[in-house]
Amino acid sequence: MSGPDDEKTITVALLGNPNTGKSTLFSALCGVRQRIGNYPGVTVEKKTGNLDIGDRPFELIDLPGTYSLAPRSPDEMVAVDVLLGRGDTTAAPDVIVCIADASNLERNLYLVSQTLELGRPVVLALNKMDLANEDGLALNAELLRERLRIPVVPLQAHRGIGLEELKDELQKAVGAASPSASAPFPEVFNEQVAWLAREANRGRQTPLPRYLVERLLLDVGGYLEQARPPIVDEALFASVRAARQRLAEAGYPAPAVETMARYDWVARVLEGAVIRSDQRRMTFSDRLDMVLAHKLWGTLIFVLVMLLVFQSIFAWAAPLMDGLDRAMGALSDRLTAVMPEGVLRSLVVDGVIAGVGGVLVFLPQILILFAFIAMLEECGYMARAAYLTDGLMSRIGLSGKSFIPLLSSFACAVPGVMATRAIENRRDRLVTILIAPLMSCSARLQVYSLLIAAFIPDRRYLGGWLGLQGITLLAMYLLGAVVAVFVALILRRTVLRGETPSFVMELPSYKLPSLRSVAGRVGESGWSFVQQAGTLIVAVAVLVWAAGYFPHDPHVEQAIRSGYADQLQQLDARLTPAPGQVSRDSQRALQQRAESAEKKALEQRISNEVAAAYMEQSYLGRAGKLIAPLVRPLGWDWRIGCAVIASFPAREVVISTLGVIYQLGGQQNVASPSLRETLREATWPGSERRVFNVPVALSIMVFFALCAQCAATLAVIRRETNSWRWPAFTFVYMTALAYLGGLVAYQVGMLFAG
Amino acid sequence: MFELIPLRCLKSGQTGEVDQVLGDPQQVHRLQELGLRQGITIEMLQSGSPCIIRTAGSKLCFRPNDALNVLVRPALRR
Repeated sequence: MSGPDDEKTITVALLGNPNTGKSTLFSALCGVRQRIGNYPGVTVEKKTGNLDIGDRPFELIDLPGTYSLAPRSPDEMVAVDVLLGRGDTTAAPDVIVCIADASNLERNLYLVSQTLELGRPVVLALNKMDLANEDGLALNAELLRERLRIPVVPLQAHRGIGLEELKDELQKAVGAASPSASAPFPEVFNEQVAWLAREANRGRQTPLPRYLVERLLLDVGGYLEQARPPIVDEALFASVRAARQRLAEAGYPAPAVETMARYDWVARVLEGAVIRSDQRRMTFSDRLDMVLAHKLWGTLIFVLVMLLVFQSIFAWAAPLMDGLDRAMGALSDRLTAVMPEGVLRSLVVDGVIAGVGGVLVFLPQILILFAFIAMLEECGYMARAAYLTDGLMSRIGLSGKSFIPLLSSFACAVPGVMATRAIENRRDRLVTILIAPLMSCSARLQVYSLLIAAFIPDRRYLGGWLGLQGITLLAMYLLGAVVAVFVALILRRTVLRGETPSFVMELPSYKLPSLRSVAGRVGESGWSFVQQAGTLIVAVAVLVWAAGYFPHDPHVEQAIRSGYADQLQQLDARLTPAPGQVSRDSQRALQQRAESAEKKALEQRISNEVAAAYMEQSYLGRAGKLIAPLVRPLGWDWRIGCAVIASFPAREVVISTLGVIYQLGGQQNVASPSLRETLREATWPGSERRVFNVPVALSIMVFFALCAQCAATLAVIRRETNSWRWPAFTFVYMTALAYLGGLVAYQVGMLFAG
Repeated sequence: MFELIPLRCLKSGQTGEVDQVLGDPQQVHRLQELGLRQGITIEMLQSGSPCIIRTAGSKLCFRPNDALNVLVRPALRR
């Protein structure tokens, strides 16, 4: 049976409830041959992989875990579209593999019953057979196969058991007949579906698949009614309502009829095929939950785990960050030496490398956070964390599902906002997205570290255990969290009014996280972060560089250099030996070295002064001077204002900008002692009064804590909410809060200090 | 004869049979898809808000609100 058909890739869709081991199965089948793509217009990621069975190529599509194929959002619609081969997606898959958790067949078969109506060949993979046995379940796969009339393959995906049988069945299923409709519904229902199908397909070029007509009938107020492009027009909607009315009168109201009918069918299928031993044994998960999900002990352990995670992030990332910082510094030094002076060199060194460095330098922290989150999710602990935090969250109008996104935002708001996809309630999700940027992220930490090290005295309490500096750092983090609570409450009472959402979540059994899948997830998330946030931050750093560079009036430089011309001449004269004099003795040699070092230092000082003067003349500098009166009440001078403006697109930029403006050149970083010293010594123009003191430092920190200075976060908010309104709102409210906070911090601080 | 009580009144360790799932139809449907539906037996593992219950095959945590509630018929203790 050879021919062109044998060369065509077979597409297989992988579908199943969450926590059934679907990703494990996907990885076991495809290994490294997997990739992530995008479905247009939605936030769901397209995960595909390849494998060869026999000599035929197969492509596997991993659909997101779901409990049912009743679409409630554009994201859930994607799965339905892929399975039916509608819209922009490729043709319907050749085979659908439904993966079920063998210890929870009742619920898993609900999804299977919907899958059987899609008109494609289906294979049922019964995973976690070992756990089912532990639970005291006896399963008769043969009987299930008879009743369902589809292949049934028992598996243990994490041990690789049953994979060969699954591949066999996949091969055999290609081109097989689609399962005969299992008809779980009463006759009345089928009649209404048929009637509605005729009405709907009148005047349509391609008829709607039967499954979609069914969904129209069943999903009262569901996504299909408002889908874009519209599936339902007024006339069709009237027919849908009429059909629902008739169903209700017959005693089978939608949507309740679906759960009743399907679960009755499931019960009939499972009768005798699944035998549960009477005594329910305590599983290992149950024992763990007695402690981990305990209201008191569980909460304590949870707090400890969180502390551990954050401590590790900062401790382990530090050496990596230092290393990266040094590497970037070395690279820019190299390029500065090699490239001729001019716009291009400045662009590359001060713009691009500064930007890239800014992103790379806190990549270690983000990756470590991703790794922890992936491990905690894989092992099942995250669900318990959501349960434990739900009490607090519900008091501010959210639910436990908001916890992980907000936690992630402490490293970086970009993955945090993306993680809100797990929150089904639209209002809930939006509130979480809007307060996520208030969680102090890694970039802010750099600002805090610099200012605390420079201005907060290192006083210790409790015999050295507690330090004022540490307390201040903690206070900054708490500030963001506390303000977030208030903002959430206010939002819930005004713009985003609504019911506190109910909270339902499955607590999966605990399992050991597989290092392979954790590594895979960290790699994916890290790459996606670099791609999205990274590229934007670099682009923005270049823009900031441009604002701080142009107009590059060479007269500025000339004026400064001519001022130093005499000094330089004198030094040069001393360095050139007089004719006839030979530098014989070591004293003369030492003197020479000291003088050439002095010359180098002078040259460096000159170029720093030039750089500062250029910045003062630049658009950025002018903007700083323009807002100087505005920021005066916060205790800032125009230079701080300038650096803050520069930091608006990306916070990281503030450190190097401060360095340039205060005449230290652009290579300053958080740990530079010279930057600390210089900031301490800086004075107001034309006076002896110091700019920086504790209240000023506090007001800067408070401003940074509360301000939305991150184009990447705003961009991801736009992506996830599909509108410009919300990122704009976030920007406005946070900037306003930040200004107020900085103002209060300075004025109140001066009251105490002054 | 056997009274119906809301789920949150079930005590830790008690079992009961779900009699009704009430509230906003979409959320009710969602809860039923998760397996929490009329006629099943559940065991209350940890009461409170949210509570942890065990259904036939899974453990769920659940916090009801005005838009969603579950009425159960508690099993008699023998």
